[in-house]
Amino acid sequence: MKLKELPDEELFTRGHTACAGCGAATAVRNLMKILGKNTMVVNPACCLLIFGATYPYLAWKVPFHHVAFENTAACATGMTRALRVRGKEDTLVMGIAGDGGTADIGIQALSGAAERNEDMLYVMYDNEAYMNTGIQRSGSTPFGAWTTTTPVGKVKAGKADFKKDMPLIMMAHNVPYVATASVGNIQDFINKFEKAKKMKGFRYIQIFTPCPTGWRHDTAKTIEIAKLAVETGMWTLYECENGKVKINRKPKMTPISEYLKLQGRFRHMKEDDIKKLQDWVTRKWEADEKYAQCRQ
Amino acid sequence: MVVSKICTGNYAAAYGSMRSRARTVAAYPITPQTFIVEHISEFINNGEMDCEYIEVESEHSAMSACVSASASGVRTFTATSSQGLALMHEILPIASGMRLPVVMAVVNRAIAAPINIWVEHNDIMPERDSGWIQVFCDNNQEVQDMVLQAYRIAEDKRVSLPMAVCLDAFILSHTVEPVHLIDQDAADKFVPQYKPTGPILDPDDVAAVGVFTPPDYMMECRWQTDKAMRDAVAVIKEVNDTFAKQFGRDHGGMIDPYLVDDAEVVLITMGTASSTAHEVVDDLRAEGKKVGLVKLRFWRPYPTDDLRKIAEKVKAVGVFDRAVSYGVGGPSFVEFKSAAFGLNLPVMNFIGGLGGRDVSLQDVRFMYEQLLEAAKTGKAKRDITWIGTRGVEQ
Amino acid sequence: MYEVRFHGRGGQGAVMAAQALASAAHAEGGYATAFPFFGAERRGAPVLAFTRIDEKRIYRKTQVYEPDFVVVLDEGLLESVNVVEGLKKGGVVLVNSTRKPEEIDVGIDTKLATVDATSVALEVLKQPATNSSILGALAKATGLVKIESIEMGIMQVFGDRLGPKIGEKNARAARVAFERTVVGESHGKRVLKTAEKWLPDVNNLPMGVAGVAMKTTAGAVGPGSFLENKTGSWKVFKPEYDEEKCTMCNFCWFYCPEGCIYRKDDRMEFDMDYCKGCGICANECPAEAINMVR
Repeated sequence: MKLKELPDEELFTRGHTACAGCGAATAVRNLMKILGKNTMVVNPACCLLIFGATYPYLAWKVPFHHVAFENTAACATGMTRALRVRGKEDTLVMGIAGDGGTADIGIQALSGAAERNEDMLYVMYDNEAYMNTGIQRSGSTPFGAWTTTTPVGKVKAGKADFKKDMPLIMMAHNVPYVATASVGNIQDFINKFEKAKKMKGFRYIQIFTPCPTGWRHDTAKTIEIAKLAVETGMWTLYECENGKVKINRKPKMTPISEYLKLQGRFRHMKEDDIKKLQDWVTRKWEADEKYAQCRQ
Repeated sequence: MVVSKICTGNYAAAYGSMRSRARTVAAYPITPQTFIVEHISEFINNGEMDCEYIEVESEHSAMSACVSASASGVRTFTATSSQGLALMHEILPIASGMRLPVVMAVVNRAIAAPINIWVEHNDIMPERDSGWIQVFCDNNQEVQDMVLQAYRIAEDKRVSLPMAVCLDAFILSHTVEPVHLIDQDAADKFVPQYKPTGPILDPDDVAAVGVFTPPDYMMECRWQTDKAMRDAVAVIKEVNDTFAKQFGRDHGGMIDPYLVDDAEVVLITMGTASSTAHEVVDDLRAEGKKVGLVKLRFWRPYPTDDLRKIAEKVKAVGVFDRAVSYGVGGPSFVEFKSAAFGLNLPVMNFIGGLGGRDVSLQDVRFMYEQLLEAAKTGKAKRDITWIGTRGVEQ
Repeated sequence: MYEVRFHGRGGQGAVMAAQALASAAHAEGGYATAFPFFGAERRGAPVLAFTRIDEKRIYRKTQVYEPDFVVVLDEGLLESVNVVEGLKKGGVVLVNSTRKPEEIDVGIDTKLATVDATSVALEVLKQPATNSSILGALAKATGLVKIESIEMGIMQVFGDRLGPKIGEKNARAARVAFERTVVGESHGKRVLKTAEKWLPDVNNLPMGVAGVAMKTTAGAVGPGSFLENKTGSWKVFKPEYDEEKCTMCNFCWFYCPEGCIYRKDDRMEFDMDYCKGCGICANECPAEAINMVR
């Protein structure tokens, strides 16, 4: 499907209460166009829960379910099994959670469901911190980033650890489909959701979704930053389909300083820390490329 | 045809879930519940039970999957115990808050620390306010029968709440005794095909289950759930009567009183201690002592009215607790005092059987002796007695 | 006891303003409390914050129903929120506006003060953070606390959070705003309609608060009903679209987080009822057919 062929109907309607410039909102309204009406959604405690479903209002026009924070994949399991009992196996169950709900508190249920190859699409929208509770560090927060729990103080400033590599962890589960996507790369985004929709078994897509409020950037720059994340190598666009890994876009390897300077969360970073992060990015890209070669 | 078979409480629970046609089971193994999930797996793999079994990676996920499967319109079952129940804790009030009729067998076992696998009711006491209907069984027949009744109660439109069927670790879970196993036709007659009680997740009729809810709607929502729990009392009695009519077994509804009408003193018990006490009552009656027994079956909803009526007629009441609320006494004792508020009679609490310590015939006889003494003097020797606890005054 | 209600938008710092005011009153030897309307509002959504000031200990932990003073950090809120709801007789309204008090209509006759806090903030802080400036204006308009106390309160609350330098800057912004505040009278004629809320009783609330589609006296609820929530009032900047330059690439349509850009046969349509003014469409338009304007 090409961009122009995407349907007009919004299954995640306007009037939702996401912050202006929210990357997650862009991701959700578009992926719902691709997945279509025959989809049931489960979503843990996160920004999306609040801005998409505050009683009595809902942005969702498909069945929507929230249970708790750490159990998205377990709930999606219950839903997909119930649909099988009811003979509605053609209905897609999507679990969609943020990075905290996926990489941190939700990883146990996620790993369990992946290992059982439950028939679902699990989407992580990655805004690299606990935004709903007010920008706290998550396992997915990049090195150096300011958050309210990695504040810029006199002794320590920013996150001391590197971003957890969730796509790789998911690939290690040997599930039918694992992919990364970005709100900045339209065709790649469409291709991956289209592909995931058609497959059966456990599918995982991690979308890079900048957050102007938490990343301290101009609301207009959400997409520009998402694109830069890909071109600097901060975020690799690749996919693993039935065990075969393919890089979808070779980054230009633009220096990460271009990416960092647009965001207040990195403003305090000193040269040696930027270098440390740059080295990590370079190594990560090389590793991703080699990994893809090994699993062709 | 009525088939009677020697089986464990765990088998009775698993069998009950099969005959109730639970279509999704999500469970995680824990001693002493393990045989329940093993039996269900066997039923499924032998083609006897048409059910999706989810081998989840934790009890938290077990309850989560049950909640979501129930919200998606199917009948669900799970089973757990002790630490597993504690891990589920977060999701229990979600099941009741969403008004989902999930049914669960809870094999009551001590909660750590110290870690211990034997019987105690301290695992479920923290779930008192979780919005789950809770029934305590004292024999394996009752375990099977209550699983079937649980679906009737939980899925009644006036109720629409989850329900736990509790059985004592090992004393029921691993003990065999004869059980009249219900055949499928009779079970189908008693537990009708599942019809969801409220809106479900369905692409053909779009609704949301579990929406972030502001203060404007919370009081009304909580009131509805509270009303459902209050209304459950009548439904429990109805279902008990219907069951008794069809199967000829009357488990008593909210409570099961034994020789209470002319009793001077009664002892209130939960779980298998009731069964042991039953025998002691017979012995004491033979000695001419006017003692009675109240088997407290439903812990939630609590049979306030039934118990008060009994308390009004007797001279002393004892409450046996297999649990303790530290610093306060047994939870059942505290609850009963509230039910008997304003009545002028001695109420004695006996705490015993913790962590699998046996509750013997002598123990129960001791409790009755204390009660008879209190009835005579009009005064309890002491409020709370720790039965057979070394170094503690009896 | 005096009660102050702040009307702002998520991210404008209404809560910090309320806290700094409490700190100012406390510095004068009084007792004060400040609190937000506890919610989960996103950046840009209307929010409330409150300050209570008294000479003796304040026991009540309730919400504020009848404020003595109302502070409006964002003039745009006057369109969607009845800011004078419950305002006590003789109360004062303070609005961040370039207009004169008599030009502002809040629906009632009231003492009203204005200050162009946005300009003050841009001059002094180099960014439109109006929550400190507005406090200077509050001191002037109400005399509730002295401007010196406001400065102290800001240095404490803002300084603690953002560093002493920023604290001092914000205190200066308050002083400048204090000097520029215009106090006058406003005669309101406008009939302000407060949006009706759907408040079902225990017999009508769906069991388990299930989100089912219903038509209520307050509009639609249930799936897709967020359409009732016109988020267009959040914006400061709005997109200006040049049809001639547009190549119909559809990028803006995809990227818009709101879904408020519609595809027509040969042009795009921008729905200002929902646009929050983020500017992504303008930033990403390869044909430069979209500009953000105030």
